[in-house]
Amino acid sequence: MSGSGMTGDHGFQESNVLISKDFFFNSIDSLRPEYRVFGPVRENNQAVFKEISSSADLFMDYSTTMLSPGKLFIYKPKEDILTFRKDDTLSLSIEEVMPEIEKQVIVGIHPCDINAILYLDRTFLGDIIGPYYKARRENSILIGLNCMQVSENCFCSSVGTGPHLHAQTGFDIVLTDLGEDYLAEIKSKEGFEVVHLKGKEAGTNEWSLKSEKEKALLKSFNKIIDMRGLEGLLMKNLNHPVWATTADERCLSCSNCVMVCPTCFCYNIGDEMSMDLIEIRRFRQLDACQELRFAEVHGANFRSTRASRLRQFVMHNLNYTSQYGVTKTVGCGRCITWCPTKIDLTEMAKEVQRSHIY
Amino acid sequence: MKNPFLPLKAVITNIKVETTDVRTYSLFLRDGEYKPKPGQFNMVGYPGVGEAPLSLSSLVYENRFQHTIKAVGRVTKFIERLKEGDEIFLRGPYGSSWPLKIAIGQDILLIAGGVGIAPMRPVIQEILSKRDSFGNSTLIYGAKRPDNILFKDECEVWQKDITVFLTVDKVPSHMTWTYNVGLVTELLDKAALHVEKTLAFLCGPEIMLHFVSRGLFLRGFLPSRVYVSLERRMKCGIGQCGHCQHGSKFVCKDGPVFLYKDVSRFPDGLL
Repeated sequence: MSGSGMTGDHGFQESNVLISKDFFFNSIDSLRPEYRVFGPVRENNQAVFKEISSSADLFMDYSTTMLSPGKLFIYKPKEDILTFRKDDTLSLSIEEVMPEIEKQVIVGIHPCDINAILYLDRTFLGDIIGPYYKARRENSILIGLNCMQVSENCFCSSVGTGPHLHAQTGFDIVLTDLGEDYLAEIKSKEGFEVVHLKGKEAGTNEWSLKSEKEKALLKSFNKIIDMRGLEGLLMKNLNHPVWATTADERCLSCSNCVMVCPTCFCYNIGDEMSMDLIEIRRFRQLDACQELRFAEVHGANFRSTRASRLRQFVMHNLNYTSQYGVTKTVGCGRCITWCPTKIDLTEMAKEVQRSHIY
Repeated sequence: MKNPFLPLKAVITNIKVETTDVRTYSLFLRDGEYKPKPGQFNMVGYPGVGEAPLSLSSLVYENRFQHTIKAVGRVTKFIERLKEGDEIFLRGPYGSSWPLKIAIGQDILLIAGGVGIAPMRPVIQEILSKRDSFGNSTLIYGAKRPDNILFKDECEVWQKDITVFLTVDKVPSHMTWTYNVGLVTELLDKAALHVEKTLAFLCGPEIMLHFVSRGLFLRGFLPSRVYVSLERRMKCGIGQCGHCQHGSKFVCKDGPVFLYKDVSRFPDGLL
């Protein structure tokens, strides 16, 4: 999302440098305490995105995380938006709760998750600005990290969001691991001025090494989905048996898929009253289309069946590109990994491709 | 930065009981300039209770306007307990409006079911205030029983300027009813329609929209001349919370008023 004051503006002359990993980690350490720094950390045999106190905490060789950095540190799972207070006259005063502006750097974001943030930008920085999202987005420096390995459920190569990052704006730096060094592509003025990555200009050798790594990775995907014509095909197969069969036999409506999805943006708004009945907090909190009442109105529930809710998740991810002009899924595979019954949206789509009714 | 969730306080200046569970609230906004168009809605509510998307049921005059609300859910049942002079909280106006500019010089057919008459009323008020700008106008309005018909007195006044057909599903034996009994679709043949120069505006339960739109197409209406106002669950009203998503559309932002052909054959819809 360039031109909106966001990081990654076109006016900046980008540079591509080769830097030693030590140099990079020292630069990251020098960012604190002015910036809060977040990155992948090893915890109980898993990688999680957390705030770090030293670059030694970073686990840059991680494969994937359960939760995406975009939905942890930019689009928060839950936040207060308003406070209502009863005064002496019994009238209610309204107070806006605005986010605390803290400068932050997020390190080691894989291409799928950078693309997921670019997708969330379309929801919260589109026609109507989400002020909470915007405040954090503008104060975040995003340092991407091209993937070194492909996990079991990754299908980013099928949707153009990985394993190397090809977006040009909307983030600050992207790193490629070249062994001893990182090839750092510095894409924004903020990235250049804040992170101070000075090194020798990347040459032909480095670029061809990067390109070879990408080519090798592209061959190692075991999950591939042919997106050509899928959008029209799914729309014509709303009654395909795959929806009801998968939903009835396997879906638990647990909403794990939505909660771990880096692009699922739906939220609920709730009110909570204090025990002394003086103050009411209005908050915004993640919601999920798999919940029974998500599409309920008085006298009707537009998605009362489990099959219709599962279909909504799959269709939103693979089909409704006209919503924002891009496919919602970034191919991270989290919804597959964390589904307790291993429902796989790519398999459902393939089932429709194999045995479509129309 | 403007916080889109910040509500405005309105004062309830009058409450008119329309039926056992429907009331019309006259509201006044002290601050700001409030200029919604017919068909748009507000997120109306009260702190601690929540907000609900509700269409305006009147035109706006100097920050004074009305909402006609059926008490069916948590928010609307709370609103039912409010009294004249009480404050109510709202934000808006949101969404698309009825295409009244396109309708200038054309005939207008309004078809409403139940409390779906509410967002039609500002259209009727607009037609009446600029009667010469529009051609023949017809309202077909159906409800379950005679005592569910809203704005009955007004219907009799409207009849002087536009054609009004009222119908109910059934008439209990103790009630008198001099209008029609049966589905709104049965009245389509009674209305003298020039399909090539008529725009149809539909609002009501989606199953009614389904049958009425098919009835119109059978009588020669083009899908590009039929507009529908859809209802979906909404929390934000600004195209972010995702509850109202219908196909690739956000009903709150891209609708609630849609051209029929833009929302037909969608999953989980009845059109």
